[in-house]
Amino acid sequence: MTQTLTKISPSNHEFADIIHRLEAGGSMLPDTPENLMQIIGIYKAYAVPMDFYWRDLLYIAEKVFLNPLPFFKYFLPQEYLDLKNHYAGDTADLRVWRGCAEAHPELINFIEKGETIKGSKLFHHLWHDRINMEFAEACMRAMYWHGRDMGMGKFDSYLDSDEYKHNADVAIKAYFKGNPAMLGLYKLFPEMFLEQVRQLSYYSNLGLFWEVMCPVFYEMSDIYDEGGFKDVSDAMNFLVNGIFAIAGRPIYHHVYIDGKCYEIISKSKGFTWLYEAALPYVEAVFYRTSPFRGTKSYNAQAKQVPEHQKDFHYGILYADVFPVGSAGIPPTLLMDDMLHFLPDYLKEYYQKNCRGEDDQLIQLGITFQRSMYNVTSAVIQALRTALLYPLDDENPKHLMKNRQFFEAQMDRFKRPEARLKDIQNPDYR
Amino acid sequence: MPTIVDIAVNNDNFKTLVTAVTVANLVEVLKSPGPFTVFAPTDQAFAKLPPGTITTLVQNIPQLSRILTYHVVPGKLMKSDLEKVNSVISVEGSPISIDCSDNFEVKNATVIMADIEADNGVIHVIDNVILMG
Repeated sequence: MTQTLTKISPSNHEFADIIHRLEAGGSMLPDTPENLMQIIGIYKAYAVPMDFYWRDLLYIAEKVFLNPLPFFKYFLPQEYLDLKNHYAGDTADLRVWRGCAEAHPELINFIEKGETIKGSKLFHHLWHDRINMEFAEACMRAMYWHGRDMGMGKFDSYLDSDEYKHNADVAIKAYFKGNPAMLGLYKLFPEMFLEQVRQLSYYSNLGLFWEVMCPVFYEMSDIYDEGGFKDVSDAMNFLVNGIFAIAGRPIYHHVYIDGKCYEIISKSKGFTWLYEAALPYVEAVFYRTSPFRGTKSYNAQAKQVPEHQKDFHYGILYADVFPVGSAGIPPTLLMDDMLHFLPDYLKEYYQKNCRGEDDQLIQLGITFQRSMYNVTSAVIQALRTALLYPLDDENPKHLMKNRQFFEAQMDRFKRPEARLKDIQNPDYR
Repeated sequence: MPTIVDIAVNNDNFKTLVTAVTVANLVEVLKSPGPFTVFAPTDQAFAKLPPGTITTLVQNIPQLSRILTYHVVPGKLMKSDLEKVNSVISVEGSPISIDCSDNFEVKNATVIMADIEADNGVIHVIDNVILMG
């Protein structure tokens, strides 16, 4: 019996057991050694491609910018592989990973060799033996598309301000200086260019968000390998502390044209990692996203696609991993990226279950789903800590407010597509 | 009568707050005629924040200013004024919920000392740092 339950009556919610677990400081994911092993292993496998994603997102936002033919935007230059992470290495503002600040050695190795042979970047790109940046861009587009509707933080509304339009205009004109064709096009279709810059601001937003998450996941993997983290709640609490520690990191968009920095969104706007990146990211990517074209057909006239954006439910917390496990679908691209960097213990685990190597993409997709339920639990607990009351609060009225908050969060998993029920079962794989 | 800043500087419970306000260059603003209502977290309130939170904010002044201005409301609002409303809008722009039905509560913080009058406003001392959202 948790401390909360001795002070207020039990919840009657459909997910009462999970709510009571959250009230005891736990996660939505059941606390078992198998779950802990799975989620930490997949965090490690996620961190390595994420090290590429954040660097390339910033490269595109800052340097590729409005290149009308960006064929080489996924060809990350050495400068960005060496870019020092602000939260890892000796030069870190606040060190969340004790490893290096530059790109992870496993990533460098993969960029050189891929799964085939050591060859040119162009060969690996055309053979598709590379990191799938298309997944990162799909996440960015989800944030961009849902941004206005969500009304979270101040980032999206700033993109409509006169100040932003002016800053973007200065950068656009500087970028196309000496290019009368593009400047003429800009004069004819100014909104089209502005809209592209807005999208690039979201590239920067997501890049700065993942710059933090990448070393956090590396550190979790290192701690687990050393025998730390006794249970799932430990792993969740590490994330909660991480969220608070870097909540105030600035979110901005700088562009470098001919060696000069143009501040399209200045750090002085006061935009923060928590409010302008993390919370919108969780809502847009974990919950909402958009229907993935390809394997499933959606009929909007038959109301198979919700009328309102807020009702979209195509994120990882709702995904049926099996049908999306096909080529070209963004979640599958991520699964493919993570497959290259699985720790040995997770590879062995997948060999022993289901159809072994044949369906390991699906198995790791479901592990990823479990791990993201744990990240979402960390966000829920962080919000409870920031906005509500301690779990051991003496005041029953406060505990009831915590209860109402947890119940409202669980209401989002009542819809049939939600996988909350499935992840309670260890045989769901 | 002393200003809001004078009261905070001369009280040993507001060392972190005074440092933060100084670093964020808000001293002159809080010395101006205002008037302002300040929900002032004690040192113990700041100490409740998980490690690293303050470090990151002190490294990033505009972000620190934003959190601090969330604790300030335009106008001089005494407890008796706040009892009549459910929420007020902070200088940061986000609302702060007020609940006087039981204790005097500001969001998830409890006011431990209310109505400390200053020349340019009023201070209510709170036991938690309050955050937007």
